[in-house]
Amino acid sequence: MIGLEIHCQLTNLQSKLFCSCKANYREFEPNTNLCPVCIGLPGSLPKLNRKAVEKATMIAMALNCKTPQRLGFFRKNYFYPDSPKNFQITQLNMYGPTSIGEQGNVSIEGKDIRIRRIQLEEDPGRLIYEGASERTQITLVDYNRAGTPLVEIVTEPDLDNPRQVRIFLNILSDLLENLGVSDPTLEGAMRADVNVSIEGGLRVEVKNIGSFHDLEKAIHFELTRQQSLAKRGIPVAQETRHWDDKRKITISSRSKEEDEDYRYILEGDIPWVILDSQSMEKWKNSMPESISSKKERYITKYGIPTQVADVLSSDKYYSDLFEQAHTESNAKEIANMITTDLMGLVDTREKREQSKLRPKHLSDLIEIINNGKVTRSSAKNALQKIVKTGKSVSEIVSQTGLAKISDEGELAKIITEILSQEPTAVQQAKENSQAINYLVGKVMQKTKGTADPALTLRILKEKIST
Amino acid sequence: MSLAISALEYISNVKNGNTTAEEFIAKTLDQISKHESKLHAFISINEKALDQARAIDKKIKLKEKIGALYGMPISIKDNISIKDGKTTCASKMLQDYVSPYDATVVSKLKSQDAILIGKVNLDEFAMGVATEFSAFGPSKNPWNTDYVPGGSSGGSAVSVSALECIASLGSDTGGSVRNPASFCSLVGLKPTYGLVSRYGLVSYANSIEQIGPITRKVEDAALLLNYISGRDVNDNTTVDSKNQDYLAEIGSGIQGKKIGVIKEMSKGAGLDENVESAFWRAVNSFEKLGAKIEEVSLDMVEFTVATYYVLTTAEAGSNLSRYDNLRYGYPMDLEGYEFKSYISKARKNFGPEVTRRMILGGFVPSAGFAGKYLLKALKVKNKLKRQVLEAFKKFDFLISPTVPILPFKFGEKIDDPLAMYMADINTVTANLTGVPAISVPFEIHNGLPIGIQIHADSLQEKQLLQAAYALQETTNLPGAPL
Amino acid sequence: MIHLVTKEDIEHVAKLMRIDIDNTDEYFERIQKIMNYFDILDKVDIESEEIPVQEVTINELREDEYIPFESKLITNLKNYKGTFVRAPKMN
Ligand SMILES: [Zn+2]
Repeated sequence: MIGLEIHCQLTNLQSKLFCSCKANYREFEPNTNLCPVCIGLPGSLPKLNRKAVEKATMIAMALNCKTPQRLGFFRKNYFYPDSPKNFQITQLNMYGPTSIGEQGNVSIEGKDIRIRRIQLEEDPGRLIYEGASERTQITLVDYNRAGTPLVEIVTEPDLDNPRQVRIFLNILSDLLENLGVSDPTLEGAMRADVNVSIEGGLRVEVKNIGSFHDLEKAIHFELTRQQSLAKRGIPVAQETRHWDDKRKITISSRSKEEDEDYRYILEGDIPWVILDSQSMEKWKNSMPESISSKKERYITKYGIPTQVADVLSSDKYYSDLFEQAHTESNAKEIANMITTDLMGLVDTREKREQSKLRPKHLSDLIEIINNGKVTRSSAKNALQKIVKTGKSVSEIVSQTGLAKISDEGELAKIITEILSQEPTAVQQAKENSQAINYLVGKVMQKTKGTADPALTLRILKEKIST
Repeated sequence: MSLAISALEYISNVKNGNTTAEEFIAKTLDQISKHESKLHAFISINEKALDQARAIDKKIKLKEKIGALYGMPISIKDNISIKDGKTTCASKMLQDYVSPYDATVVSKLKSQDAILIGKVNLDEFAMGVATEFSAFGPSKNPWNTDYVPGGSSGGSAVSVSALECIASLGSDTGGSVRNPASFCSLVGLKPTYGLVSRYGLVSYANSIEQIGPITRKVEDAALLLNYISGRDVNDNTTVDSKNQDYLAEIGSGIQGKKIGVIKEMSKGAGLDENVESAFWRAVNSFEKLGAKIEEVSLDMVEFTVATYYVLTTAEAGSNLSRYDNLRYGYPMDLEGYEFKSYISKARKNFGPEVTRRMILGGFVPSAGFAGKYLLKALKVKNKLKRQVLEAFKKFDFLISPTVPILPFKFGEKIDDPLAMYMADINTVTANLTGVPAISVPFEIHNGLPIGIQIHADSLQEKQLLQAAYALQETTNLPGAPL
Repeated sequence: MIHLVTKEDIEHVAKLMRIDIDNTDEYFERIQKIMNYFDILDKVDIESEEIPVQEVTINELREDEYIPFESKLITNLKNYKGTFVRAPKMN
């Protein structure tokens, strides 16, 4: 049985959770995104970001959680150099339900994964270790990240294997992106701890896992370790283990009992926030359409094939493009163009950021394909240039000679030339009608895809049969 | 020009040209240098005070826009941050800490052209009732230097009493403004929780403490409250003051008002008989002013000191965790330590009382104890609050002696923490319930001051100050014998 | 539940609070006395009491706006290397 604790930064906010420093700390030199609040100077007080409450509530609603009447904050007390106050402001349900969400669920492959709790909390700073040996080692701290709004999602131990974990995390990541609350592709924006247990064994928590790739490895390792203990009749101890990034194993982290006593107390500096039904209703209505609803709509309304609808709906970048580019009549073609021609051009975060493509380019391209000005394959070429330059479709077509060759005389001349160079192929085409495709390919190659495919085929057939 | 004037008198004298800010500040600095070696009110002095006074005089001369406080010298408890100055909390842990920002109350006073004359002494991190726990040595009571000035805002009270400033800002977590005000024959106001921003006040027990003025006159406290109160974006716990003018109509009197004498605070074993008899004379004065007096029993008061110490130590334990000496603090080399041993060693610099309270504060919310102590204390607090709010349905004010005992000698209570904690019995209720309370000087017994405490319902400071003013006007007390 | 505070408890909590104390005895007696005094709370009937908290409405919360702090704070901090804060080695 596997349960997850996923930490997700609300990267799309402007400011931190309790101060006005920048939420996106990544662009700063170490310790230059600070103020008295997030560095925990004496006398500073947290001032709660309203938008963070709104976005966290949306996550809770999207994960089918119950939301509380009042939102309460608590202090989790522990000493660590990345924590400027030596406590973390977080949430729990110590005095009734005050955490942003509880008792939700996510369905994967027909199975319900229960969400135990969602809480809004602050991210700590970052530690960097320097020094060659253990003896000379020093710790450097960058507090830029301290106070970044974080939503922690805790699942019940409902996942069975690493594959399910991967699917679950993909779904969750898509969901957060679709909500517009986070960009999970940013480094460190989404992190997870895991707890693993086997039938009849106690729960083992694994912390410090750097990537989702390693998460799967850690689960594999832990399952194997626990099963081999069980086989030898050794009971699995309840403990916290750390993921050793270099050796790719989990290690017992001999933490003493005192480290586990977090001495939770009320955070008196933040009054409990009344989540009034009017605001909740307003937020609910302003939530973007869910991925599953989008997919359903793409299939039923536009007749887009299930697989294409799947790809389109689960990626916010693609579905946003689609929503803006399509009309009732061209929806299917736009969907196709995005999921076949465009995909390889904008499959990474960097490519998307650099891309100059606008939704109108797509609808314009479909239009000139449909009215016969360019071929599908020329359109694909044009798309490449558009992504790079952002030039308008008409400009690209006229400047680069992508206009379709529909002139019979011109095309016939090209075909005659090719046929004279390919006597063997001509002979084969005479004997086997399928072989003509090779010659069509040659024509397309020669014309860089601008030849009208139907016309090409007709001329070829005529010439070969005579 | 005498230094023994009220804030209102200071303002009119500067306005009339009877004195200048520079003249008054110069005299004030002289007074400080004359008395400091004996009284030790200050931890640091504003070295630019005279320059600031000259700049204010220039503005007055040129008829430029000028703040309402006209260069009035005000001292600030050294747990309230002033930009670019030290904020030590009278602790070795923060002996070198310089704040890069102003507390909200400080920027408000600056914007009214107050001159923040210096930072004043306190019990380390405001934990104490005698200023004996300052890491930099105690302050002395100007009425008799063998006696404690009260605490924790002892330096505030001493500086006001000894004419080293016109007024002071202290902080009141369990009586820390009212107690030294009472011990030094001054006015001390603990406002409604949330009326004054705590941004920049170094937290001790953040859920119940407030910044409040210590002054020689009730009207001065009203004046200062006008300028320091109100909602603050930097403090989520602040409430709207509705722009009340606490000074206007301060002389309205209390004819026909209903006053409850809190039985549990004005009788019983812990109450000094001289304090008791003075208190009943004050009750008599209220009666003569036309108020209706009745005894009221608040049986939850018996449990307030325990509740107070459970809640405040739990919060203090957390609030003081940040002092690990890594980001700010005092010089101590990192070499030879790992994280745990370094901070455990560094935190040895807390004084004994702070250490005691932090150990208590480690117990009460910890896994084995939280249900027995912290949870119970929270619920008792709730019950107390309900009881006090119920009383305010019937009464306009609830009164008691501010402190059940007279000022005591140095060392007298320092070894008996429980006896020391019991000195808070009359003051902690206002903190635990959030209501405002004021201490008004009423009598001097054998050269030692006695103060009377008045509580009002939440946000009823205006009424409260009227009652305090009415009582003040029945008295005619001398200043401290300097 | 009766729980008398022991010297070991004091040592444990001092460790938890990260304060070296030289002499447990110095603290033991006073703290035990105070903790015993806290038992007075057992006398109160608190059965139906709620947890007292302050409340705010959503509208009173801060807008999500980036406002950089007026000065570079790192120069106010001690133990720094480059623009990093230095901490002792871990473990
Ligand atoms: Zn900040």
